[in-house]
Amino acid sequence: MNPFEYTRAASRHEAATMAAGGATVIAGGTNLLDLMKLEVMTPERLVDISRLDMDDIETTADGGLRIGAMVRNSDLAAHEIVRSTYPVLSRALLAGASGQLRNKASTGGNLLQRTRCYYFYDTAMPCNKREPGSGCQAIGGATRLHAIFGASDHCIATHPSDMAVALQALDAKVEIENATGDIRTVELESFYRLPGNTPHIETELKPGDLITAVIIPPAKGSRQTYRKVRDRASYAFALVSVAGVIEMSDGKIAHASLAFGGVAHKPWRNAEIEQMLLGEAPSQDLFRRVADTLLRNAEAQGDNAFKIKLLHRTLCAVLTELTEG
Amino acid sequence: MSYTIDSKAVSQEPRPGQCLRTFIRDAGVFGVKKGCDQGDCGACTVWLDGVPVHSCLMPAHRAKDKQVTTVQGLEHDGHLHPVQQAFCDAQAFQCGFCAAGMIMTVAALDEEQRADLPRNLKGNLCRCTGYRAIEDAVHGIRSTDDDIAGAACGASLPNPFTQGIVTGHARYTMDVAVENLLHLKVLRSPHAHARIVSIDQSKARAIPGVVEVFTWEDVPRKLFSSATHEDHLVDPDDMYVLDNVARFVGQRVAAVVAETEAAAEAGCRALQVEYEILPAVFDPVEAMQDGAPILHSKGNEAKGNIFVTIKGEVGNVESGFAEAAVVHEKTYSTSRVQHAHLETHGSIAWRGEDGRLHVRTSTQAPFIAHQKLCYLFGIFPHDLHVFTERVGGGFGGKQEMVSEDLCLMATMKLGRPVKWEFTREEQFIGATTRHQMTTKVKLGAKADGTLTALEVHVVSNTGAYGGHGSETLAASLGSPLSAYRCKNKKADGHAVYTNMIPGGGFRGYGASQSTFAIECAMDDLAEKLGMDGFAIRRKNMIGPDDVIESVWSDPSDVSFGSYGLDECLDLVEAALANGEGLPAPEGNWAEGTGIALSVLESGPPTEHRSGGEMRLLPDGSYHLAVGSTEMGNGSINSHRQIAASILGTRGNNVDIINADTDLTPYDTGTFASTGTVVAGQAVALTAKALHDNIVSYAARITDTPVEDWSLVDDAVMNGNRRIELTELYKIGTEAGHRFDAKRKAYLSPRTIAFNVQGVRLAVHRVTGEVRVLHSVHAADIGRPINPMQCRGQLEGAVAMGYGWALTEHMVYDDHGKMLNPALRNYHIPAFADTPRTKIMFADTHDTIGPLGAKAQGECAINAVAPAVSNALANATGVRFAHLPFSPDRIFDQLSVTA
Repeated sequence: MNPFEYTRAASRHEAATMAAGGATVIAGGTNLLDLMKLEVMTPERLVDISRLDMDDIETTADGGLRIGAMVRNSDLAAHEIVRSTYPVLSRALLAGASGQLRNKASTGGNLLQRTRCYYFYDTAMPCNKREPGSGCQAIGGATRLHAIFGASDHCIATHPSDMAVALQALDAKVEIENATGDIRTVELESFYRLPGNTPHIETELKPGDLITAVIIPPAKGSRQTYRKVRDRASYAFALVSVAGVIEMSDGKIAHASLAFGGVAHKPWRNAEIEQMLLGEAPSQDLFRRVADTLLRNAEAQGDNAFKIKLLHRTLCAVLTELTEG
Repeated sequence: MSYTIDSKAVSQEPRPGQCLRTFIRDAGVFGVKKGCDQGDCGACTVWLDGVPVHSCLMPAHRAKDKQVTTVQGLEHDGHLHPVQQAFCDAQAFQCGFCAAGMIMTVAALDEEQRADLPRNLKGNLCRCTGYRAIEDAVHGIRSTDDDIAGAACGASLPNPFTQGIVTGHARYTMDVAVENLLHLKVLRSPHAHARIVSIDQSKARAIPGVVEVFTWEDVPRKLFSSATHEDHLVDPDDMYVLDNVARFVGQRVAAVVAETEAAAEAGCRALQVEYEILPAVFDPVEAMQDGAPILHSKGNEAKGNIFVTIKGEVGNVESGFAEAAVVHEKTYSTSRVQHAHLETHGSIAWRGEDGRLHVRTSTQAPFIAHQKLCYLFGIFPHDLHVFTERVGGGFGGKQEMVSEDLCLMATMKLGRPVKWEFTREEQFIGATTRHQMTTKVKLGAKADGTLTALEVHVVSNTGAYGGHGSETLAASLGSPLSAYRCKNKKADGHAVYTNMIPGGGFRGYGASQSTFAIECAMDDLAEKLGMDGFAIRRKNMIGPDDVIESVWSDPSDVSFGSYGLDECLDLVEAALANGEGLPAPEGNWAEGTGIALSVLESGPPTEHRSGGEMRLLPDGSYHLAVGSTEMGNGSINSHRQIAASILGTRGNNVDIINADTDLTPYDTGTFASTGTVVAGQAVALTAKALHDNIVSYAARITDTPVEDWSLVDDAVMNGNRRIELTELYKIGTEAGHRFDAKRKAYLSPRTIAFNVQGVRLAVHRVTGEVRVLHSVHAADIGRPINPMQCRGQLEGAVAMGYGWALTEHMVYDDHGKMLNPALRNYHIPAFADTPRTKIMFADTHDTIGPLGAKAQGECAINAVAPAVSNALANATGVRFAHLPFSPDRIFDQLSVTA
C-alpha cells in the first residue's frame, strides 16, 4: 500500500473542504483499504469521517426513516424499524458481507462501493473506470459477472451493493452536504449514473460533496423480499438479485416497486413493468409478460447470457411469492 | 500512550499507510494472522473497543485511543477465556491457523448470533475442519478423551500444541521476529509464454531500501523440479530457479530484496522487462496437435508437448464390449482448483552463528527440500538445516519447493536473513493447483449389471511444468479402476504441457479426477440397466478375494490389509434411509440422492521412507523425534499416541519434535497418505525397540526373565516388583547403558482404504442453487488411532470435496491469466456452505498398517463430487458432467415446474 496522509476530520465542514481539495474520504474503509492495497486507488490524503456525528437512525416527520451516513451496516440491519417495516433492506444487508465487514461498513460507504469487475481490480489490465481512456478489457473477456442492462462500449461493470438495490425499491433519497454547507437531496435513481463514455464518474457527487444521510419514505408495500441468486449460500456477489415491494388490495396489485442487482452499473429499475402490474390480478401469464418486458432490452456480453434467463425466472418466482395469499 | 494492544501501551507510531494487522505484528503480537490480507478470511480478526473487525482492512491510525484486543489478550487472571477453553475441548481446529481469528469472532457473539452461525461466521474461513468442530465449540461440546496410561491409541487426545494454538502463541512459519531481516518479493510474468529479452534494473535499484535484484542470469543454470518425491526421477527436471523463458502467467521473472516489503514490491514494479511474446497454448488437446507451440525442448521434440503417456490393458476390452448388453460412453471433466491452505507459502533463511545455513519454512517435505537446495546451490548437506514449526495447512500444496530456493540464494549472496511470504494472489497464480483432467469413460455390462469391459481415457493438463504430472496421471489410471472387478480393462492417458499454471499434488492426487468420471459413469450405466447406485456397485465392486488390479497385470505390492468396502456401503445406505438431515427448503426445489465410492492405496507407488528416534529422559518421560510434517493432519498427535500406547504410558508423557533436518531422522515427506502408514510405522517400530531396550535392561540387572517385565506409566513392573523409570534411568546411565532407539520404516507392502459418500440434496428449479440436506460418509481406514482426529480429517476432506463440486473454480481469460485470485471470488466453503457430514467407520483392523491403522486423510474427498453429481441427476434427470455445479450451469437445464 502506498503511504498516505491521514486526518481525522473534526467537522463535516472540514471533511468537505478537504475533500474539495482532493482528499479521499474514508468512512468504514472496508472497500477503500482493499483497493488501496491493490493500488487500484492510490490516494495521497485520507480524511476520516467515521467519528463525525452521523450515526443516528431517526424517524422523519412523514413517518419515513433518516439513516445517518455513518450508521454501520450491522446496526442498520438489526434496527427494529428496519426489520419490521423495511425487511427488504434488512434482508439485503444480511445477504451481503460478513459480520466483521458489516461492523465497519457504513451506509454512505456501502452506496459508494466500487465495482468488483475483475478487470477493474487488476492494475495490469486497461480499465476505463480506473484509468479513463485506457479501454475495457472486460468486453470480449470473462463476463460472467457483468451487466445486461445499460452497459456502454466503455464499461460493462455491475454495481456490487445489495443494500442499494433494496433502497432503490424503497424509493430512497440521498442527502448531500457540500463544502459551503449547502444541503440537497437526490433520488437514488438519479444519484447513480450509467457508464456512458465516463464510467469513472459513478454518481452525481461533486468534489467536496459528503453523503450525510439516506432518507427512506414510508413503506409503500408490506410485502417485501430480497431474493439474491449467488454461487454459494454463505456470501458472494449477486449473479442476479431482485428487491420487491408489493401491496395487494382486494386480490389486485395496488403497489409494486422492483429493483434489480447484479445486472447493471447501478441498481436497475424499470417503471414500465411496475405500471404493468398495477391494478392487475396476479397470474403467471402476467408475470411472464412483465419479465419479458423487463428483459426486452437486455443485452448479453458472452458469458453472462445466462443472466437474462435467470433474471426472468427469478422475477417470476419473486412476484409469485409476494402476491400469494 | 495512544496505542494499546492487549492492555499494553505500544510506544511506536504506525508508518504512513500501515494497516492495523502489520502494526500489531510489528509489536511482536504474532497471534494475528495473515490468510488473505483482503478482509475475506478473518484470520486477522481483532477487537477494536470490543467489536470484531478485520485488522487487515483497518488503517492502524484508526486504533488510536482505542483498545485493541487480540487472541493473546483474551486470557484473564491466567485462565483461558471460555471460548478458548471451548476450542480446546472441542478441538475446533486442525492446522490451527484460523483459530486465532475464529476465536475472536466467536467470543464476541451474543446469544442470538450464536443461534445463527451460518450468517455470523461468514467472515472467518477454515480450510481444514469442515466447521463441525467449530460449531461444537460454540455449543460447548467436548470431544476429547482423558489421557490414560497404556490407552493412548484409540483415544481422542487433544493436539499437544492446543494451548499455544488457542492463545495465539503457537508459532507458524512467519511468527518470529528476526533482526536485520531483508524482504524478498518476486516480479511475475504477465505473459503466458514469452522470452525475456532484457531486464532494466536501474530504476528498481534506485528505490530507497532496495538491496539487490536477481534475474535468470544470477541463478545456477541447473534444471530441477519443484515437486518433491523420494525418487526425484518421477518428476522432470524442467525448471530453473529463475528462467529466461516464462511459460505461464505468474511464473517468477525476477526477485527484489529490500529493507522493507514495500520497497521490495516497489522494486518489482520498477523493473523494466522487455518480453518477446511467444505463441501460447492452454488446452491440452490443442497442445497435442501438430504445429502447437512447444513448451520444452529437451531432445524429445517428437513427443511435442506430451510430457508422458501411460497405458495398459488387462483382458481384452474389445471382446468385453462385444459381450455387453448395454454400453455407456461419456466424457466427464474436473476443474482446476487450489489448495487455499490459510497459511500461504513462505520461508525465512539466514546464516546462523554456527556458520551454517538455516531455512524455516512451510513445507510437507523438509528433507527433500534440503536435498534440492543442496543440489541447486552446491551446499554440503551438513551445512544446511531445513525445518518447520507450526504449518498452516498443506493438502499437497506444500509437497512443492516454491519459496525456499530464492530465500536461501538471497541470504547466501547478501549475508543477511531473508524472508519471503506469498500473498494470497501469489498463492493462486504462482504456486500449484489440482490437475485439470478430462476423462472419457466407456463401460459395458451384461443385462444383470455385471461389468464386461471398462475403458478410460484421460487427458491431464499438467501446465507449464511437469512436476507431479506423471504420478497424478498414474494415480488417475490406478485405484479408481481397481475399485471394480472386471476381466477386461483398458486405460490410456496423456499428461500434457500447456501454458497454464503447473499442476501439483492435491489431496486425492489424480485419483480424485478419474473417480469423479468413473463413479458418475457407473450411475449412468445403472440408469440404463434400470438398477440403482447401490445395486450396481455391490454387483461389481472389488471384494476381499479379488485381485487388486487396474490395467497392469504385473505383480503389485498392494493387498487387502483389511476390507470394509461392503460395510461402508451398508452404513451409507442405512444412514441415508434413517430420515435424518434437513427437509427440502420451502419453495420450488427438486430433491435427489446419490452415492459414490472411492478406493485408495495407502501410500504412493514410489519409494517412501521414514525414521523415528526415541529416548527415555531422566524424569521418566520420553522424547520422540520423527521427520514427518504436521500441517493439520494430526500426525504429531497420532505419533505420540502410537508411541505412548506401545510404551504403556500417557500421550502427554511423550514429548515430540518433527520435520527438522537437524533434530529428526530422515522422512520422505508427509504426502500421499503416508503420515500414519509410513511415519507412524517408524514410530511404532522405534517405540517397540525402546520398550524392549527398557524391559530387557530391567531383566538384566535383576537377573530375571525378560518376559516377566512390562512397562507401565512411569515404571517397569514384574509382578509386584516395580522399578521407577527415573530410578532405572539413573542406574542404567551410570552403568553406561543408553535408553534410546532408532528405527526406519518403508512403505511396501501397501494396504488399501475405502470410502463411500452419500448425499441428499435439493436443487432450486428456478435458479439452479444447490442445498445439501443430508451428507453421510463411511470410511474404512482400519483402526482409528485418534477417532476424533480421524473424524475431523474426513469431515475436512468431505468439505473440500463440496467446495470442488459446487463453488471453487479458477477462472482464466483467453490469455491464461487467472481472473479471480482472491478468496472473495474463489469460493472455498464458508460455514454456511458446508453441510454437516455424519462420519461412520467400518469396523476393521488392518494387518499391514501400524496398530491396525491405514490411510485416512485423502481418500474421502474423492467420492464427494461424483456423489453430488449423482444426486443432481437423481433430482433432475440431467447428468451434470463438468465441475463445478454453479447455479448458472444448472438452472438452464431445469424445468421450473416439477
